[in-house]
Amino acid sequence: MRPFQLTRRALNAAAIAVAAIAAAGGFGAAFADQKVVKIGITLPFTGADAEDANLIKNGAMIAIDEANAQGGIAGYKIVPVVYDDGTATAGQYDPAQSATNTKKLISDPLVVANVGPQMSGSGKAMSPILSEAEMATITPSSTNPDITDPRMAAQFRPKGKAVYFRTVTTDAYQGPNMANYYKVKLNVKKVYILDDSGAYGVGLANAFEAQAKKIGLEVLGHDQLDPKEADYTTALTKIKALNPDALYYGGVAQAGVKLAKQAAETIPNMIKGGGDGVAGGSFLKGGGFPAIEGWYGTNAGPHLTESPAAAGFVKTFQEKYKSTPSDYAITAYDGAKVILAAVAEVAKSGKEMNRANVREAIQNSHVETLQGTVAFDQNGDILDRTVSVFQYRHDDKYPVDDITHQLKYLEAAPQS
Amino acid sequence: MSHWDVLLQQVINGVSLGAMYALLALGFTMVYGIIELINFAHFNVFMVGSFIAMWTLEAMGFAGQSHVLYGLPLIGILLAAFAVTMLGSGILGVAIERLALRPLRGVPGTAPMITTIGMSYILYNIVLLGAGADSKNYTNPMPKTAWEFGGVTLRLREVLLWTVALLLMLALNYFVRRTKMGKAMQAMAQDQEAARMVGIDVDRVVIITFFLGSALAGAAGLIFGLYYNYTSYLIGYTAGLRAFTAAVLGGIGNIPGAMLGGIMIGLIESLGGQYIAVRWTDIIIFSLLVLVLVFRPTGLLGRAAPTKS
Repeated sequence: MRPFQLTRRALNAAAIAVAAIAAAGGFGAAFADQKVVKIGITLPFTGADAEDANLIKNGAMIAIDEANAQGGIAGYKIVPVVYDDGTATAGQYDPAQSATNTKKLISDPLVVANVGPQMSGSGKAMSPILSEAEMATITPSSTNPDITDPRMAAQFRPKGKAVYFRTVTTDAYQGPNMANYYKVKLNVKKVYILDDSGAYGVGLANAFEAQAKKIGLEVLGHDQLDPKEADYTTALTKIKALNPDALYYGGVAQAGVKLAKQAAETIPNMIKGGGDGVAGGSFLKGGGFPAIEGWYGTNAGPHLTESPAAAGFVKTFQEKYKSTPSDYAITAYDGAKVILAAVAEVAKSGKEMNRANVREAIQNSHVETLQGTVAFDQNGDILDRTVSVFQYRHDDKYPVDDITHQLKYLEAAPQS
Repeated sequence: MSHWDVLLQQVINGVSLGAMYALLALGFTMVYGIIELINFAHFNVFMVGSFIAMWTLEAMGFAGQSHVLYGLPLIGILLAAFAVTMLGSGILGVAIERLALRPLRGVPGTAPMITTIGMSYILYNIVLLGAGADSKNYTNPMPKTAWEFGGVTLRLREVLLWTVALLLMLALNYFVRRTKMGKAMQAMAQDQEAARMVGIDVDRVVIITFFLGSALAGAAGLIFGLYYNYTSYLIGYTAGLRAFTAAVLGGIGNIPGAMLGGIMIGLIESLGGQYIAVRWTDIIIFSLLVLVLVFRPTGLLGRAAPTKS
């Protein structure tokens, strides 16, 4: 009986194989006229960061749509694969979900690179997984320096090659440059520091603190907020009693909007500021005027939405999405452009279209974008280290949720 | 601010927080007192309450914090908002009892408690899907009136919070001690079988208990919104957990215990934040809870009713 069984099993296997080939063939036939590469987009569309995440996604989508409208890149149709790494449980970005999404992207061989994440906490979860697969991601906004720090390569890129590229600079510049700004431009002598206990917030606040001490600002204290907590009056009362000239908050919108609302009542006249976590639509919409009036925020890059080079992009964005882009929508557009240029490069060189080759091309890119030439160092960090400073000033000629007009660009922060 | 100003200010902060926790803790403790069930859906009845209140205020034509009222119109609007919110939340609580808990009445073990966790997640996700995940800029007609005493600031919204919490607790106390239904509740807490034998309608008492507990949670939700100027689908978790801790700390099933526990947790939170560090708040609160449970397992005030056999 044994040979018969074997034959039957073999027949079954053959039948399955035939079916699979037929299915694959049928699938392939649908795209027979055009080859496909996929680009992942992983951002927190659920939770407190959703507002900014959508602007970033739309920025990247414009780059992809433009490429497809011109018949694709070197004959490849570009298909975006959008995943949400925000969860209801976290109420904001969720690093565990980012890791899951990354594994899903890697399991699809057509995905050659990714745009995202928005948040450094997600980046820390994604980078080791990306490293194993040698797949590049370009983040338009996550700024925690650890992820690309060569001293932490064993943790974040165990296979060695840079996979985490940025079209913004890191908190190693964002925090310190803002400390310089506090001292030089705002004449701050004493400062109190808060963070939101997230990877990004803690790193940013620590970088600010180190530089503040170095340039002779007196740091009266540094405490940590629980982003799920509703009440920050305890921390604020403590700060009020210490009476610093300024408060610096390292963190994102979830804790930030509550902090801003309660600070407006407890310490209305103190200088208040933060990083790129407070310079965006989520903070504007959740905090609202008058609570956020006067808050300073920074972007880890040059200010772009009002630059002449970006005028065409801004117009397209407004027509398409009925909203105003943020600077990080433009860095996302630029990031997607860099990936598309890398795909073109790989196609031109005749190498196989896979994620390792695309990564290689991204590493060596010199791409003209809306923010100028984008090029990376061997760790994936962008060479440009500009940090821009903004301030919320209510302008009743424009809608209250119009980020470009309610968040005024002041100048680039002094570099050290 | 002098040292004493800081202390007094933190006490004001702590009592305000505590009053809110106490209102929430009452719902846990009342339901536990009657049917020995920890009702985790209570977390999110509170959250839904704050949304009902926001929508009520919006329906009355307010938006954001731009339209501010004073005097009698303010009191009238707030009374109306409290009435609608408490009624809405109360009905929600009763619906949860009727649909999800009554079919499980008498089922031994943890099944009913797990069901309340399920209900809690259902409410949470309904609001998440319906209202979105961003934190809402609360509709708030209260003026930013505040009084300065030296370095200490007392705000109108703190006074409102204390007044409402105190009135509601006094009313509840009166209801439980003086009315026939209240006495029926006490009787049921002492011995359900005996209460049934003397002709108390058990289902009715349970419904009233859920209604009252949920209405108090709704009121706490409205106060939360007015106090912090925001709400979101997430607010139930931290506040609910603290309030639950307060109920256990005071002695679960014990109404004055819940009030005491709430105020204590609020004070620990604010004074711990001031004199130790805000980042240690949860560690302090829950360590204290563990200590109380180890040395006084029935809570600070113990159970008001004798233990059931």
